[in-house]
Amino acid sequence: MVEGTKRANFTRRALFTAAAAAGAGLAGGVFISQVDASDSDDDVAIVKQLTGKTPAGSDRVHLVMPSKFPNGYTVPLSLDIDSPMTEADHVRNVRVFAPRNPLVEVARFHFVPGRSEPRASTRIRLAEPQYVLAVAEMSDGALLMSKTWVEVATNGCA
Amino acid sequence: MFIPTPRVQVPSAAAKGEVFQVKALISHQMETGLRRDQQGNVIPRRIINKFACRYNDIVVFGVDLHEAMAANPYIEFYLRATESGRLEFIWEEDGGHTYALTHQLTVG
Repeated sequence: MVEGTKRANFTRRALFTAAAAAGAGLAGGVFISQVDASDSDDDVAIVKQLTGKTPAGSDRVHLVMPSKFPNGYTVPLSLDIDSPMTEADHVRNVRVFAPRNPLVEVARFHFVPGRSEPRASTRIRLAEPQYVLAVAEMSDGALLMSKTWVEVATNGCA
Repeated sequence: MFIPTPRVQVPSAAAKGEVFQVKALISHQMETGLRRDQQGNVIPRRIINKFACRYNDIVVFGVDLHEAMAANPYIEFYLRATESGRLEFIWEEDGGHTYALTHQLTVG
């Protein structure tokens, strides 16, 4: 029952409102290119809202998913983080977010230095085509983020 | 009533220091709490919300699962063989019920 009561209910509406507000604030002060910048700013704002920290894009986080998948019910997902996994330098956990799902949080994988490798595979549900985000929390507290576009043909959350 | 069945695929022997793969699966509907029945009532959420792997009683890997994990959640992960002993796999369901499997690993 403990886990059942502390559900993390980050709804899509709350997140997008926050992301839009953050984007609007930024656009007011700085002249940015509209096309790609706005998208990644949304992702950063969403992750900041969920974790309280600003993530940095990183090529050490490998998130592999099919770019097109016929159904949203069981979309394969693989994670692999470049890390020596020593006491001094390791991955604490990796969180997966699907910002356009009705409930944004998908999973959090916990790793232990010297005992488990920062790699995992699973299958997730996606409600619509979207960027899926993987955010690795490193032992120094830094958040490293990577994202991948997945186009699903059916809603896996209905 | 549907009874969830856990399954794992793990080698029974590994060399010391070797990284080995673990595949863990539990048959479970993972009812999200977002669906309604024909009368329009919300079907209550009932998912596996936590998975953990213990290696001689030390937690070496874990997952917090949310509604967007697929039904019959499958988790593949990688452990380092440190010593012979017991691997324990635990799935926790909403409401507090747990499902567990153990596996003996020989490290040579």
